[in-house]
Amino acid sequence: MKKRTKVLLLTGLGLLLAALPVFITNAYAIIVINQTLISIIVLMGLNFITGLMGQMNLGTAGIMAMGAYTSALLTTKLSMSPWVALISAVLMGCILGIGLGYPSLRIKGIYLALTTLGFSEIIRLVINNLVDITGGPTGVRNIPCFKLFSYEIKGAVPYYYLLLIFVVVMIVIALRIIHSKWGRAIKAIKDNEVAVEACGIKLSTIKIFAFTLCCVYGCIGGALYGHLIGYISPTDFSVDTTIRYLMMLMIGGIGSIPGNVIGAVVVNVLPEALRFLGNYYWLIFSILILVSSVLLPNGLVSVIKMIYSKVSRFAVKGEK
Amino acid sequence: MTSFFQLLLGGIGMGCIYCLVAIEYTLIWNASGLVNFAHDKFIMLGAYIFAGTLVLKLNLPIILAVPIALFLMAIFGSVAAMGIFNPLSRLNSNIYAVMGTIMLAKILGEATRLIWGPAPFNLPSFVKGAYKLGEVSVSKVYLLIMIATIAILLIIEFMFKKTKVGIAMRCVAEDKTAASLMGVNVNKNITFTVALSGMICCVVGILIIPVFNVSLGMSTMIGLKGFAAGIVGGFGSIPGAIVGGLLIGIVESLYSGVGPTVYRDVVAFVLLIGFLLVKPKGILNSKASK
Repeated sequence: MKKRTKVLLLTGLGLLLAALPVFITNAYAIIVINQTLISIIVLMGLNFITGLMGQMNLGTAGIMAMGAYTSALLTTKLSMSPWVALISAVLMGCILGIGLGYPSLRIKGIYLALTTLGFSEIIRLVINNLVDITGGPTGVRNIPCFKLFSYEIKGAVPYYYLLLIFVVVMIVIALRIIHSKWGRAIKAIKDNEVAVEACGIKLSTIKIFAFTLCCVYGCIGGALYGHLIGYISPTDFSVDTTIRYLMMLMIGGIGSIPGNVIGAVVVNVLPEALRFLGNYYWLIFSILILVSSVLLPNGLVSVIKMIYSKVSRFAVKGEK
Repeated sequence: MTSFFQLLLGGIGMGCIYCLVAIEYTLIWNASGLVNFAHDKFIMLGAYIFAGTLVLKLNLPIILAVPIALFLMAIFGSVAAMGIFNPLSRLNSNIYAVMGTIMLAKILGEATRLIWGPAPFNLPSFVKGAYKLGEVSVSKVYLLIMIATIAILLIIEFMFKKTKVGIAMRCVAEDKTAASLMGVNVNKNITFTVALSGMICCVVGILIIPVFNVSLGMSTMIGLKGFAAGIVGGFGSIPGAIVGGLLIGIVESLYSGVGPTVYRDVVAFVLLIGFLLVKPKGILNSKASK
């Protein structure tokens, strides 16, 4: 694509996103969009490990829970500013990443999947049972919203703009990392670990780096989720949440950032669009996802790429 | 001392359940290289077919209902194998396979909710009560579980050692390429294994009805702990599954005698992660692949 068209397309998309709340006045729809934006952030983190490094991670829910509870408890119990709490959530992500990355040095494949699943369940059970600190099954209520100087970012629409800024920044960071030497090393691990080590790249550093990225993204997503809803409970972070994120990853296309965005949008918005099916909407949705994962293993992004290459070939023919 | 034996017996009872769960997915893992993340839904489906349809709706006697439920689950297993497990085992990345079985679990859960309704129910007079053995009381359920587990283990052992199908299954577990070169139909093998696994799931489902009631989430914890049992014992080996299951059941039960009960469910996962860090190959150093 020419650079000018690219810039034009991106500007158009940006304007469209900025004007979105003008077209959509339904409050519930805005909340769904906000959740989609948070999903994009968490999903990009998962993409580093499962998509680019090819290691199964089934601990997304646990990571999100740690981020969400760190931020929520610091703001409600110690009445810290949400911004400080967000930074603490990032720190928590770093700690988690090193903790989860260490086992990944010794185990992989299905073992790692089950370890992370176990980690996620332990986190949920501990949160559920530490009633004095976390409130147990009743959860944490009245999580305050972000403040910019004296302006309170309250309500769905202002929060939408805040999340939009976060998502754009996180996408840019993720893209920069993927196209750096770190990102190339992460991708190389998926293909051949021995070759990576033979090239003089320290495997353990890269793996722990990727896990830390995943956890930081997950914790930021979790913290933002807590401030979006204003209430969190352990049921928000069950195995189902992890499965939702894996679905998004599959649907969009493993290992690509545009794929992540598409996946998050489809998995968050499509069930709402299928609501007219009544009781059957989740069943139909699951079947759609299963069929598409068997027929389209590279996700929706591969379809878009195929259409794009056909169109551009057609355009080249027309010029001749 | 009495309470110790009491806890030990309860632990062995639950341990047997974890054993069966671990065996059921180890069979599929050995045949196809897939981990069946839908196995807890298989268990749930077995229980719902048995309790919801055969016993409560059709009023069949339990002696008749058990074989019919087993038969239905075997058919269901072979259909699932042909539609989902066979195509997935040919894909080259294990992420797709994991996703496929997870989505199958979602679909089963939703379908069950739509067919039988979301409210949990119970079979009122299905294996209730306990025997007194001196000071220790043994509940009939746990006794039944132990007997059923031993019976299933003997059947599997006999099948693996004596029958042609069982020997073929062992060959496939050892080396798929070599097995197919020796004339073993690997696809048919997968279908048969998933059907067998479905039957074991059905047995587990029926056995846990008196312990957990029939509900949509009845088998989630058992499924996860079954995974832990497989890892602790040694992934991909049947003896490992037995040892791991019993160990987790007993440790968990004895723990509830000393520590706060609320953390009872955490024990299995702590064991899982501990073993993965210290001894990833499990207690019985199995030859499990990567």
